[in-house]
This record gives sequence, C-alpha cells and structure tokens, in this order.
Amino acid sequence: MGDRLCPACASAVAAGDAYCEACGQDLASEAAAGPDPGPAAGPDAGPGPAAPGPAAPGPAAVARPAGVWLTSADAPEACPACGAREFGPEGYCEACGQRRGSAADHTELDLGTLAAVTDRGLRHHRNEDAVGIGTVGDRLVAVVCDGVSSSVRPDAASTGAAAAATAALIDALSRQQSPVDAIVAATRAAQAAATLAAGAEPGSNPPASTFVCAVVADDAITVGWVGDSRAYWLPDHPADGGGSAATCLTVDDTVAARYGADLSVLASGESLVRWLGADAPDTTPHLRSFTPSGPGRLLVCSDGLYKYRPDADQLAALAPRDAPLPAAAALVRFALDCGGADNITVALLPFPPDPAVTVPADQAATVRARDSKEVDQDE
Amino acid sequence: MSEQGVAFQAEVFQNEYLPAGAGVVDAVITVTASGAGLTGGPVKLPSTAQVIMVDCSGSMADPPTKMSEAKRATAAAIDALRDGVEFAIVAGRAHAELVYPASRGLVAATAKTRAEATRAVTRLDASGGTAMGQWLTMANELFATSSAEVRHAILLTDGRNQHETPEQLAQVLRRCEGRFVCDSRGVGADWSGTELRTIASALLGTADGLADPAGLVDDFRAMTEAAMGKAVAQVSLRLWTPAGATIRFVKQAFPHVEDLTPRRREVSARVGDYDLGAWGAESRDYHLCVEVPPGTIGDEMLAARVSLVAGDEVLSQSLVRAVWTDDTALSTRINQRVAHYTGQAELADAIQEGLAAREAGDVQTATAKLGRAVQLAKESGHTDTAKLLAKVVEVVDARTGTVRLRQKVAGVDAELANVRSVKTVRVRPASE
Repeated sequence: MGDRLCPACASAVAAGDAYCEACGQDLASEAAAGPDPGPAAGPDAGPGPAAPGPAAPGPAAVARPAGVWLTSADAPEACPACGAREFGPEGYCEACGQRRGSAADHTELDLGTLAAVTDRGLRHHRNEDAVGIGTVGDRLVAVVCDGVSSSVRPDAASTGAAAAATAALIDALSRQQSPVDAIVAATRAAQAAATLAAGAEPGSNPPASTFVCAVVADDAITVGWVGDSRAYWLPDHPADGGGSAATCLTVDDTVAARYGADLSVLASGESLVRWLGADAPDTTPHLRSFTPSGPGRLLVCSDGLYKYRPDADQLAALAPRDAPLPAAAALVRFALDCGGADNITVALLPFPPDPAVTVPADQAATVRARDSKEVDQDE
Repeated sequence: MSEQGVAFQAEVFQNEYLPAGAGVVDAVITVTASGAGLTGGPVKLPSTAQVIMVDCSGSMADPPTKMSEAKRATAAAIDALRDGVEFAIVAGRAHAELVYPASRGLVAATAKTRAEATRAVTRLDASGGTAMGQWLTMANELFATSSAEVRHAILLTDGRNQHETPEQLAQVLRRCEGRFVCDSRGVGADWSGTELRTIASALLGTADGLADPAGLVDDFRAMTEAAMGKAVAQVSLRLWTPAGATIRFVKQAFPHVEDLTPRRREVSARVGDYDLGAWGAESRDYHLCVEVPPGTIGDEMLAARVSLVAGDEVLSQSLVRAVWTDDTALSTRINQRVAHYTGQAELADAIQEGLAAREAGDVQTATAKLGRAVQLAKESGHTDTAKLLAKVVEVVDARTGTVRLRQKVAGVDAELANVRSVKTVRVRPASE
C-alpha cells in the first residue's frame, strides 16, 4: 500500500507514481502543493458509515476551513431480503445469496443550512440513487447520482460516485481551489469510483450512473454534470419582483435534449448519451456558473422528482418555504404521491449560503430507513 | 499438507442473466492445478501406496499373450515405483491371493523389493474364476495397514465378474469408497464395460479397455506415474448454495462424465462436500445446475460458491451468480461450455442406453439412441467416440443421426463403446 492517497479519488497511490492508477489524476502537481492525506471517504462504499468526516485531519488541515459532509452510502447491516446479518467477502448474503445493496431505501441528510432526502420510490426494489452534501467554510456542496437501471449493479456506481465526489469537492475547496476546478476533480473522482464498481471484469454492461454536483458560494452557483440529473434555481421571489427567474441550470445528456425536443416523443428520446462508468465514452462534465440577482434556493435532484414537474416555475411553486430538510422531504413526498415510479433524490441549498446556521460535524444528522413501505405493484 | 507450491486456478463459464420468473442456473467450472509441486520442483509430494490386482483366471491363458502381457505390464508398473512408495501385488481369481510381499501388508519400494516382486509376478499362472469383490476386499485390507496419503489401485481383468453377484460387488465397493482410488482395465474380448465403469466410478478412478494386450505395458506405467504425480491427496469440491435453492446436479464433465450429486456429504445447512480423490497436474471441468427462487428484474444473487478444498484449506473458489434482466438479448444467450457438456452427458447416456437396448434385442430403441449418439458425437467433434460407434452401427448420415445396427459386431467393440461412453472432449476453441 502506498502512503499517499490520490487527492482526486482517494485511492491509495504508490510513492513514486506520477499519475493515479484509478482516476488518472496528475500527482506530480499535487506533490508540489504539499503532502495531503485527503478525505477519509474512499471511492468504494464499504461497510460502515462513510460520513460525517472532518476533511483532511492532520497538521495541514489547521490552516484550512474545516469541511463537513454526509453521504447516503451505507451498506446495510442486515440483508434486505431475509434479514440475516452475515455477508461473504464478495458482498452476498451468506443465508439467501442476495447481493448486499449499497444504501438504505430512504436516507435523510441534514447539515442544518442544507439537506437532502433520497428514497426508493414505489416501483423499484432498490434505491439506486445516491446523494452527498457538505460544507467548507461558507461554501455549500451537493452531489446527486442516479444509477442507470439498465446496467448491472447501478447502485454500486451511484453510491461510489456520490461518496467519492463529495469527498473530492470538500477536499479541493478546502485547499482553496476554484469551484470549477473542484467540480472537475470531483467528476474525475466520481468516474474513478463508478469504474471501480465494475470490479476486475466489467462485462458488457458495467455499473453506470448519472452525476450532477453543485458548489454554492456567496458570489455564484457553479454546477457540473454528466447525464440527466438536474440542478434548478428556485428564487425566493418571483421574476417580476426583480430577482432571477426560476430556471433549470443543466441540460440533459439525452437524445432528446441533444437532437431537439421533437425526438422526445420517441421511446429513445430519454436515452442517455453520456454517463459515468467503466464503459462511459465521455465523462467531461458540463459546467455552468450562475450569479443570482436575489436570494433563493438551489435544487439538485434526480429524474424521480422532475419527471412529474419538469418546469422550473412549477418546482419553485411546489417547494415549501420551510427549512431545507422538511422542504426536501415534502418534494420527495410529492413525487411519491404522483406514483413514485423511480428513485427520488432531492437536495436543497440556500443562496446566499448562511454559515451561521451550518451545524458542526458532531451535530450533523443522518436518518436512514429500510423497507419502510412495500413496493407498490399495481399502477 | 504438501500442496504448497501448487496453484489451483478456477474459471467459471455461465450465462448469469435470467429472465423474470426463471430460476435455473447452469455453470461450468474449470479447475486446473499447476506449479512447482507438480513439475518435480523442490516441494515434497504426498506419500503414496499402490496395489495391483492382476486377473489370473483360467481365461487369461487364451490367448496366452494376455497373461504374458499382463505380467510384463505389472513388471513395468513395479519398475516405475519411486523408492519408498508402498506396494503389493494381488492375483485375482475366485479368491484373492497375495503374490507379493510374502506376509500380509505393503512393502516400501527399493531396488531389492522391486526385483523380488518382479520375480514373483513371473511365476503367476492362469487358473480359476473371477470375483473382483474379493480382490478389492484384499486391496482394502492392504491399504488399511498403511498411512500413505495417496492410495492407488489398478484392477486388470479379462472377463466378467462371474463368481459373485452384482450385489456382492456393490457391497464391497461401498466399503472401499473413499479408502482408495482404483483404475480398472479390461483386456481381451470378454470383459464388461459396465462393470469396469461401476468400479472406477465408485472408487474415483478411470475405466478403459484394451483389445490388444500389447498396450498394457504403457498403460500400467502411465497409471503408476500419474498416481505418484498427485500433489494433493484428498481434494473435495465444496458447494455453498443459498437458502431455498435446490441442487439439480453436480457432475464432473471432463475428462469423463461422473455424476457427483448423490455423493454429497453435508457440512452445514448450506454447504456440502463431494470427494474428488487426489489431484496432480491436471485440469477437470465440473457442471453445476442449481435452482434458486426466481428473482425480479434488477436482482442479483449468489447462486453458488464452488470451492476446491483439502481439509480446511481452500485451494480455489468460484462464484456462480444469477442476475435478472428484462434484456432478452442477455437472458437468451447460451453459454457454449454449458451447452457442450449438456450434450456430452446426453451422448454418454445415449450410448449406454442404446447398447443396453441392443443387448436386450430392442432394435428400435437401440437404433434411435445410437443414432442420436452418432449425431451428438459428430456435432461435438468427438471423433474417438464416433469411430467406436461406427463399429457398432452403420452410419448412413451422421448429421441427422440416421444409422442401422450392424449385424455382426465384435463383442469387444460394444464394450469399448460402453466403457468409453463417459469420456468427454472439451469445446473446440473455434466454437467459443
């Protein structure tokens, strides 16, 4: 094992390596910036809680703003299928053979000023969405990943990617990198983790996930994405009040979005043209920076929510003016009430960020639930 | 144990994708052992003992070359024994007689004991009957006096087991199971392929027949060398299956078909062991068929974990998975090896059933079964079996399996087809 961890994806790297074997990160330039133990959360979501974790412990961290983050990654202690608690080294239940999932059916992440809720929905048997949120000083971050359900083990890709990207964002921002650089590093970490989820033999249909992340600073919101998970700007005051209008900040990497709305009537219109994973053709993130003219909230979500209300104005009207956690929970509830056809993930981040209400690491809360409801089999 | 320096490698061939509602999972596992311990490296091999049972019934004198070649072959096997390998020679008649050593037990091979044993073998003569159960009982008693790890026997016969009932033989085989490995060989024209297969199958050995006694020398030497080349004495296949799963079958599929299913020894609720005997530098294939509770789309489960173990040491491990998908392009894919060995098992059954029907005078069944066998042998490129079958049936069209029973068939040809019916070939690389 190497003494160092890759600053981008947290994989172990050998002392002499110029590039990370897992994600290709240029290690030489990092070495010049000084040794860096990196965040504790690794790219693969192993058993045990991956968060919260203070970023970069050690002497180097003292001079940096402290980071706090939470993710939904959480390999269950008991088998969701039979309740047995023993798993083999390959991640299968020793009693019934079912694969151990990567996360709970329902997870709520609460950092006070920002929060996220992810839920299995009513149709799917597993929650293949994953989410991470965090704070570095007065900057807020969120990552949402949606496992591509036509791939093998999509939850491994989405959970791994969300955990790795959240840690990488926190790490990069705590080292005073720009939001754009932090997002580029986070995307690379997410892609490395999604690729690792495929294991040694990726096969023809390896784990795949969408990816969207956001950095909210007091001067701008920066988002990066690959795939069709979205970020929306939801202003506190309607556009005619002088603020920025509600808008979707991302453009889906789908056939319909790329080749024109006309194609959305086709069955293939919603097919992804870009994703993260071992077989992904292009994983460079789309980037967008946005400076709102007034206060509001950033909504980062998976299609499990926006499929019911794709329009930004509708979503703005829908989101209650509560604290982030109850507001996010209400949006998830709305999607469930609409049918819950897919996994649903919602993260809400305020703009401008208010560091005063950010909770310290020891008060960060994660609530998990499993099998809280039966899968609804009829339409 | 001496498996240090020996590497076992396992490879799984399966289509893990199932459509909704399906639950039958097939997989072929190829296990190959290689390493220093198998190529004469510095690793110590397990201790070995060998007993040779030579048929000395009256028929061995007709023609006299049978007895003379059997003696030469036994001498060659003795000559091949490494110093220190414990051995004994048994003459088989209606009773078993210890030819060497003089007192009941095994003796370690040295230049002196090898010379004494060879001299004793030259004095063998052909007279008396055939009761293989008696011979095997003596071999079992001889092995019981030894602490050797690898225990190997060779049984040579030229005739049928006339002087005891099949039940008596079966009873003896049950007592000998797991005590030693036995290769059985038929020489001449009057042995029974079914009997040889029964003995070899129960005692984890190989069965074969030689029409020409001149081939015995090389065969005996090769069997002895193979026994002394075993690097791990007691290997078991350990199978874990999930709760609610049913094991349809576990078969050895290569180098010959052997149904292991009824040999399961329960280790725990979900784990069973199947004895495989000793391993040398060799590669074997196993075909596993497990039925698991059907899953829903997107589910993934471990349908079986297949390990090779020596005692509690795991030599190799393979995972057999099941993944449910609505992508029919995936779920309808057929794994070449699974299909191939399914065909090879059917081929063995078709030959055995066809020959049995032929012997019973049921021409219609015999023609249908042997016709199917010819077709399967052709499809799988099993040319040796195709040649043997062509001596029993006249092949009109191998592709369609159209055959006619030959009127005049040398008895040994039918027995050879029988005893070799279980031998399999691997998939030709071109078809993978």
